[in-house]
Amino acid sequence: MNDLLGVLPEAIVTLTAILVLALDAVVGEERARPWLSGLTIVGLAAALASPLAYGASGQFFGGFVVVDQFTSFFRLVFVVLAGLTALVAPPYLGRERVPAAEFYATVLFSTVGAMTIALSTDLNTLFVGLELMSIPVYVLAGLQRRDRYANEASLKYFLLGAFSSAILVYGFAWLFGIAGSTSLAAISQAVGRVGPSSPAVVVALALVTTGLGFKAAVVPFHQWTPDAYDGAPTPSTAFMSVAPKAAAFAAILRVMATALGPVQLDWALVFAILAVVTMTTGNVVALVQTNVKRMLAYSSIAHTGYILAAVAALAAGTSAGAAVLFYVFAYGIMNLGAFASLMYLDLEGTRGATLDELNGLWSRHSAGALSFAIFLINLTGIPPTIGFLAKFLVIQPVLDAGFAWLAVAIALNAALAAFYYLRVVVHMFMYDPDASAPWRS
Amino acid sequence: MIADRPILDHVLTLLVVIPLVGLVPLLFFMRDERAAKQVALVTTFVELLVSLVMLAQFRVGEAGFQMTDSVTWLPSLGIRYEVGVDGISVLLVVLTTLLTFISVLYSSSGVIKTRVGEFMAAFLLLEVGMVGVFLALDLFLFYVFFELMLVPMYLIIGIWGGTRRIYATLKFVLFTLAGSLLMLVAIVAVYLASGEAGSRTLSFTDLVSGHIRFSPDFQTWAFLGFALAFAIKLPMIPFHTWLPDAHVEAPTAGSIVLAGILLKAGGYGLIRFALPLFPIGAQVWLPLIVLLSVVAILYGAAVSTVQKDLKKLVAYSSVAHMGFVTLGLFVLNVQGGVGAVLQMINHGVVTGALFLFVGIQYERTHRRQIADLGGLANRWPLYTTFFGIFVLASLGLPGLSGFVGEFLVLVGTFRYDGLPISGVVWGPLAAIGVILAAVYLLWMFQRVMYGTVREAYKDLPDLSPVEVVSALPLLALTILLGVLPQPFIRIIEPSVERMIAFATSVPVAIR
Repeated sequence: MNDLLGVLPEAIVTLTAILVLALDAVVGEERARPWLSGLTIVGLAAALASPLAYGASGQFFGGFVVVDQFTSFFRLVFVVLAGLTALVAPPYLGRERVPAAEFYATVLFSTVGAMTIALSTDLNTLFVGLELMSIPVYVLAGLQRRDRYANEASLKYFLLGAFSSAILVYGFAWLFGIAGSTSLAAISQAVGRVGPSSPAVVVALALVTTGLGFKAAVVPFHQWTPDAYDGAPTPSTAFMSVAPKAAAFAAILRVMATALGPVQLDWALVFAILAVVTMTTGNVVALVQTNVKRMLAYSSIAHTGYILAAVAALAAGTSAGAAVLFYVFAYGIMNLGAFASLMYLDLEGTRGATLDELNGLWSRHSAGALSFAIFLINLTGIPPTIGFLAKFLVIQPVLDAGFAWLAVAIALNAALAAFYYLRVVVHMFMYDPDASAPWRS
Repeated sequence: MIADRPILDHVLTLLVVIPLVGLVPLLFFMRDERAAKQVALVTTFVELLVSLVMLAQFRVGEAGFQMTDSVTWLPSLGIRYEVGVDGISVLLVVLTTLLTFISVLYSSSGVIKTRVGEFMAAFLLLEVGMVGVFLALDLFLFYVFFELMLVPMYLIIGIWGGTRRIYATLKFVLFTLAGSLLMLVAIVAVYLASGEAGSRTLSFTDLVSGHIRFSPDFQTWAFLGFALAFAIKLPMIPFHTWLPDAHVEAPTAGSIVLAGILLKAGGYGLIRFALPLFPIGAQVWLPLIVLLSVVAILYGAAVSTVQKDLKKLVAYSSVAHMGFVTLGLFVLNVQGGVGAVLQMINHGVVTGALFLFVGIQYERTHRRQIADLGGLANRWPLYTTFFGIFVLASLGLPGLSGFVGEFLVLVGTFRYDGLPISGVVWGPLAAIGVILAAVYLLWMFQRVMYGTVREAYKDLPDLSPVEVVSALPLLALTILLGVLPQPFIRIIEPSVERMIAFATSVPVAIR
């Protein structure tokens, strides 16, 4: 019983998902549709509130599951992100005739998976969580079954995702081989014993980094991102651009900070280089995009780079971990917001807005344009926004860990990124509306 | 603390808050042009009055910060909301509120025709940033205000600007942002170097209190980070290329505050933060900056001479005038510093006025090319008088505001004994810039105002009452600064002395 209390929030989210599906099956799709979003949000809120009433922390299920501050934080992040997705999705789902119950249920299942990652102290739990998080997202990408772009997105995402899971699990096997245990604590001890120069540790590290890098969309493992984000229905994109990334960083922190903690210092430089490559590639490619959804896809790659920079700086102490957590949360809110704005502005029959379709949006859709602009300014990182505070918090441990060049790279990249974020604002606010643009009022 | 004193004791916080309060009703009257104008006018006027109250409360002769407010903002990071004024910032704040009020007044007289509500909202937000920059004593807070100026100005140029406005506004934003983000890295570095975890601070008063010593290496790079941001904002050669584009495309009110206030944020940042915090770093880069300043003075003047577009001419003249500011600051003596601050105020008043008059003229003739104009003096006696005085002030005629600042900077420069080349060389070179200013400004005035008037301009009206009201305070300040500079110098001097003392507190071995 005590074990179940430990995972009460996860249980509530699972129950909610089942309720959503049941309601849909019992009363029929069209009659259930208006209630599903509300039901999802209520369920998530209950999950969030339940630890306050019956909260338990410590180890559960014989050490397979842990509830600590880290867990609580990521639970909050995942639940909030799923709730916001459910909040903004209904108009789009209704308009595009996307099956609503399936949408909410897959979002909820994916959320349970993400929460499981945050609970894990063991490679088994971690891997189950990762798969439970990923597989519903492949479904989400392909929810519009008759849309060939959605099909392409889903297939590409699934194949590359499965591939990366295989690499990851191979890496886990190596870790098991070193430690003879799947417990993160035991692995930490064993890795500390054999030291960073042991070939087995190097192989395991490389495989785990690659596998988790795929999930987080780290360059050069990012190729699936633009097509998947672009092709999926916009509410799916909103969710899958934030929650899996947050989950991937939860996994990276768990594995790198706990299990591989003893060799972290030697691995920091690899992360630092990956961070620079990731942010620069994301930003440079985003510069030339004319499709806003694709541009946001590349921008999300760039943000992965900023978060990775803080991971590289883990040696600087708690401020680095805190920076990762804060950035993940801030990024989740602002990226979800940007996609939500895009969703309200989405054109009928076209996939995502091109820059030209946004011309003069301010005069037609003041509230939509304003909110989109605010989220873009957030993503740019101009104060006094949460995006700025997140960058400030990331730069701090990066400098503290002695990566001054990485901090300068972040600054220059942020300036580069301003160009394409603000270009959207230019189109919305500074161009005259084109009378022929097929906008709904 | 905030609660236990009467409200006028928190006059600085009030200055930050008033434009924000004005934004609230403005959002409701966004679509009602008349109401939007009235709200903006009342807000900026009240702001101006409160800034005058601040000036009246200011105790002349004290070097330190006055009227400070300080509240913990982000306790876990040791970041505070800390504002205060000293002799350097107090006049810049008043200049800001005055120029903003004039800009809003002039803009509401029918110059801005589209999206008036949004324009006024952008201006109020801009005012928060501009006032905040001169008041902030915490580096984090300063950075927030410094960037807060960026977005409204980006919109003002991009929405209400001329034909190439989008190119100009993106160039402006990207240049500024690239610099300020590097400054952000430097700010974080200062934060980390300020102590052990838990006792870190970004408060200016703590940082210069003497407990914290930055290593020479650290200072070299941190100074570069700060100086780059300010050099771009100022702008110093070779980062000046955004300025002519931004000025030419910006609407008149945008040009006024861009030249009048935003450029000053660069000069102010140098004397308030970059120089006092990193004296050793300043020594490293000092010869280069002095060289670039003199180059800016000569190059700006030379390029101004050949401009065909009136606004571009004034923009390039700004490059030259701001060259005097950096020269005055980096010769690191009191005359130079006081001259630089006076020059900033003078440039704010006079260049703001020049942009106002170029704008007024453009509203009537729809021409900015000097070759298309001429003979306007015959038709516009009032305009000619005002414009003439501001042109004379800009070229540094004794008795008007431009003279005092430039003179003091030159005195300071002659006394500069730095290596490898001393002030005896730089002084005469900079003085040539003053002569060149007379050449291009008088030549421009002659071509625009004298000669025969074109048929098309014959019936255009002279200044309207609103325009006279907009220009009068600037005219008064120009004459006052020129005839009676002593009260201003008495306000500025102690604080400049204090900053220069910080900036020259370099161990002998390193000098």
